Amino acid sequence: MPTLEIDGQEVQVEEGSTIIQATEKLGIYVPRYCYHPGMSIAGSCRMCMVEVENMPKLAIACYTPVSDGMKVSTTSEKVLKGRRDMLEFLLHNHPLDCPVCDQSGECDLQNFYMEHGRYQSRFVENKFKKRKAFPIGPHVVLDQERCILCTRCTRFSDEVSKSHELGVFNRGDRSVIDLNPGKTLDNPYSGNVIDICPVGALTEREFRFQCRVWYLSTEESVCPGCSRGCNISIHYNQRRGYKAGGRRLQRLKPRFHPDINTWWMCDEGRFGYGFADQNRFEFPMLRLDGELQYAEWDEALDKAADTLKQAVDEHGAGSIGVIASPQLSNEELYLADKVFRQGLGVENVGFENPWQKDGFSDDFLIKGDKNPNTRGAREMGWDGDIKAILEKAASGEIKVLYLFLHDFAEEEAQALLDKAGTVIFHGSNQNHSSAKSDLVLASAVWAEKDGTFTNFEGRVQRFKAALQPLDESRRDVDILLDLAQRLGQQLVYNNAEDLFMEWFGMTYQDMNPQGENIENRGGSMPPPSSGSAGEQPSAN
Amino acid sequence: MSEASETFEFTSQNLERCQDYLKRYPTKQAAMLPVLHVAQEQHGFISKEVETAVAEVLEVPEVEVHKVVTFYTLFHRHPVGRHQIRLCMNLACWLRGSDCIKAHLEEKLGVASGGTTSDGKITWEAVSDCMGACEDAPMMQLDKDYYDELTPEKVDQILEKETA
Amino acid sequence: MPLYTLISKDFYNEDARDANWYKQNRQGFEGAEKAFEMSPEDIISEVKTSNLRGLGGAGFPTGIKWGFVPKDSGKPIYLAVNADESEPGTFKDKYIMTWDPHRLIEGIIITCWAIKAHVAYIYIRGEYVRPYEHLQRAIDQAYEEGILGDKVMGRDFKLDVYIHRGAGAYICGEETGLLESLEGKKGWPRLKPPFPAVVGAFGSPTVVNNVETIAHVPEIIKQGGQWFADLGCEKNGGTRLMCVSGHVNKPDVYEIQLGTPLYELIYDHAGGIVDGKKMKAVIPGGSSAKVLTAEEADCDCSIEALQAAGSMLGSGGVMVMHEDTCMVKALQVITSFYAHESCGQCTPCREGTGWLLRTLNRLLRGDGHPSDVDTMLDLSGNMQGTSICALSEAAAWPVESFILKFREEFDYIARHGRSMVAEKQSVPA
Repeated sequence: MPTLEIDGQEVQVEEGSTIIQATEKLGIYVPRYCYHPGMSIAGSCRMCMVEVENMPKLAIACYTPVSDGMKVSTTSEKVLKGRRDMLEFLLHNHPLDCPVCDQSGECDLQNFYMEHGRYQSRFVENKFKKRKAFPIGPHVVLDQERCILCTRCTRFSDEVSKSHELGVFNRGDRSVIDLNPGKTLDNPYSGNVIDICPVGALTEREFRFQCRVWYLSTEESVCPGCSRGCNISIHYNQRRGYKAGGRRLQRLKPRFHPDINTWWMCDEGRFGYGFADQNRFEFPMLRLDGELQYAEWDEALDKAADTLKQAVDEHGAGSIGVIASPQLSNEELYLADKVFRQGLGVENVGFENPWQKDGFSDDFLIKGDKNPNTRGAREMGWDGDIKAILEKAASGEIKVLYLFLHDFAEEEAQALLDKAGTVIFHGSNQNHSSAKSDLVLASAVWAEKDGTFTNFEGRVQRFKAALQPLDESRRDVDILLDLAQRLGQQLVYNNAEDLFMEWFGMTYQDMNPQGENIENRGGSMPPPSSGSAGEQPSAN
Repeated sequence: MSEASETFEFTSQNLERCQDYLKRYPTKQAAMLPVLHVAQEQHGFISKEVETAVAEVLEVPEVEVHKVVTFYTLFHRHPVGRHQIRLCMNLACWLRGSDCIKAHLEEKLGVASGGTTSDGKITWEAVSDCMGACEDAPMMQLDKDYYDELTPEKVDQILEKETA
Repeated sequence: MPLYTLISKDFYNEDARDANWYKQNRQGFEGAEKAFEMSPEDIISEVKTSNLRGLGGAGFPTGIKWGFVPKDSGKPIYLAVNADESEPGTFKDKYIMTWDPHRLIEGIIITCWAIKAHVAYIYIRGEYVRPYEHLQRAIDQAYEEGILGDKVMGRDFKLDVYIHRGAGAYICGEETGLLESLEGKKGWPRLKPPFPAVVGAFGSPTVVNNVETIAHVPEIIKQGGQWFADLGCEKNGGTRLMCVSGHVNKPDVYEIQLGTPLYELIYDHAGGIVDGKKMKAVIPGGSSAKVLTAEEADCDCSIEALQAAGSMLGSGGVMVMHEDTCMVKALQVITSFYAHESCGQCTPCREGTGWLLRTLNRLLRGDGHPSDVDTMLDLSGNMQGTSICALSEAAAWPVESFILKFREEFDYIARHGRSMVAEKQSVPA
């Protein structure tokens, strides 16, 4: 392993590493535009030039391999001048439309210029006119004038999505990034080009002009869109609530995880967050005179508890059915198990929607199972025949149906629900099932709570609450704990974290829940070795 | 002038030529330039439909073809005249009076550099790239041939003879 | 020093296009016969002895380049003959391909035997339609005569030679741009290392040599490396074709011994300056080479001598300018070319060439500012040593040298809005 010196600090790196990889090991950041660790090396922006002892010219850190005894400076006069010169070249055709540019605040032209720029422009020629702001796909807008031709997006479409929509056409300073004629940037991963564009050339149609990035806060999370569990950041806005129609959740961005999603996420997940701010139950509801109407939490919970108790008292635990959901967190499933199966003795349970078919999947990130926690629910023993439960409810054998989240839109299910006795719907959004219910317990969405999901390969991953539950809706754990109390159960948990510690500690006895694997790196742990935790995943 | 058409198909003879080119290289994509030359010979210019056909022959994404077509200046992306003139404006030719020939061509053909005569006969362009005939400056290329030591009178004669 | 006819003897001789004529009258393919009796290592060593340098522009010693090909990579080895000849002021390879194609073919056979290649691609610029046709006819004949093909000249050696036509891009003369183009892509130069001799065309070791370089090989093998070395000067073996153009009475291609004085080439061989005018400046090695004043041009034609004079022998394109030439306009002509030809891949070249051109255009329109001159000088400095390939420097050197050596003309136009030199551009006679 070669040892080299960078800015006076010694570092040892793998044979074959590049200088930029070595700088990163030391926590030294070298400005770059074209370099992206997830794609081939272009070496064309010339921004990452560093000075290497005994090399006559500056070397690009992204491409130059390290060698033993190498001495590198990332801050010498020559390096700083090189960066300043490249920035001047890059900016001389770049429009000065920062005030109306969505990238403002997270633009690497702005960022590096603040640090390395010349500040006094010498460019008096007319800037090149190219095509401005036009949509190139369902999610992406291209501004060719802002483009600095780093080719990250074209390399993405060639090497990662392999969909080949984009290219650099023409040559010299007439070069432009554009769609291949007749193409649309509509591959399942198109949104990633927005993230990797270092400037404002590729912006998000959904996010354009919605919010300045400096008003955004971020929280680490996991995508709830499928069983892959891509690591993401939630970008939300609570400071300018009157903007963007009051939408709190502004966008999702992928967060690096070496073994799950690397730098990427799919569009389905990225743009699938709308339910967090739309079509929500903002308070509990009770059916009165045939219509669901506002209820106080005490009223709703009392009613739910009374109904459940009465059913057990009069007809036994067999008169209750509980349909859990693969959208619930492990902690919620663990608590629901305590409340319903251990507490009330319910045996009519299930969690998988029998009508739901696998959705689109591919051999990259997207899984056919569109639930984030199918594996977690299965490992906790929530398997069961939901159709049979609904049939029992329709026949009157089951008197009370406690239904988490599921949207039973199918005619068959709707007909069965019509015939069911009392239906308690515990969920965040209005749907076909909630419309048939007698009582709604308005719960929080994933972005509003802490918890873990177990992905398809058995990794337990943490997500954290970015937002408070909308209006009067409440976190599922709080709802269940209050219900438990009314059912006379003695459950002493303060929050999801308590549940996590207990559940995780029992399930993964040989692992430290506070350890590196689960707390850091996006809150993941490696998949359990075979046999240690339930059955193997049913990967798509 | 080659007509823009909605479809393009290699003639069977040209397809055979393309297959012949493919055999010369270890990758199919390497036959890109030869196949494009064949296509342009047949169609007069490289349209979107031509790019599609070329991509099929080479088994590459269409974007690879479009990148190449927009990069190299000898591929026409729009219909051109039956004859093409490229007048060299590089240093050796400029030193020996290419400006004067350019003005003459402009007047004679009644269209600015880059344009096609109104009868669709000639497309001409004053180009900045040296065509490697500086010993004969000023020079131009008309279709396949170089014409050297140009004077306005000589240009007239050449046009009369070669583009009648 | 006299002119030589080592490889230029048959220019304008139509008979020489025939393989059999070449055999009978020029001991054609005897070099190849001799080479087949030698080991590849011996050939490489002979070429090293000859001091043959790459004649495309960079001047890299040919034998050393051949020696870089890895011995046992397990991959096929290719020869790529660079016939892109697009450095402004250069037109020599056109003559070889048009008039003496079998000399080139023989050179290719020997080179491929030496580097153990079984396929050679000749990358010829798209504009050269007629030279391509002549060369293709010669190759076809060589196949018919058994000179190329499965059994080269009856030997147990297979060699296929294909011409690959370019399509209008100066950058494809840069060796890795050429390889990209050969692979069916845009001619975007590659990051180096690895160099083509190790990883070249199709991921395989590839030797890229200029047409003229290869055309010298048969005589070197026939007459010996030492003979060739002795013909030239120190470190520069043999003869080379010099392309003289611009304001001379007899612009043409001249074969000189390396070391011939530049003045002799311009005044004796090329007939001196037109209209008896004074020489003002010379670009000695294609338009990328730094311009020399008439005084500086008083040096020998060798790689080292021209380097010492502050320029380079480059591609051998000598462009002569007389006293009435407006150096600002001349530079604008050159810069238009580089701005047009920059491939657009890396920042300093893509942005720098366009910036320089627009500033020069503005100066010539009469809208200059005195600070423009220093800005251009500074930009040309910033374009050097920062790019992927040498085009950025090729574009910057003329700017730097024109301004440094003819600064008063630039300052004048920037201040006064008109050229200092009465523009008496030659009207074609």
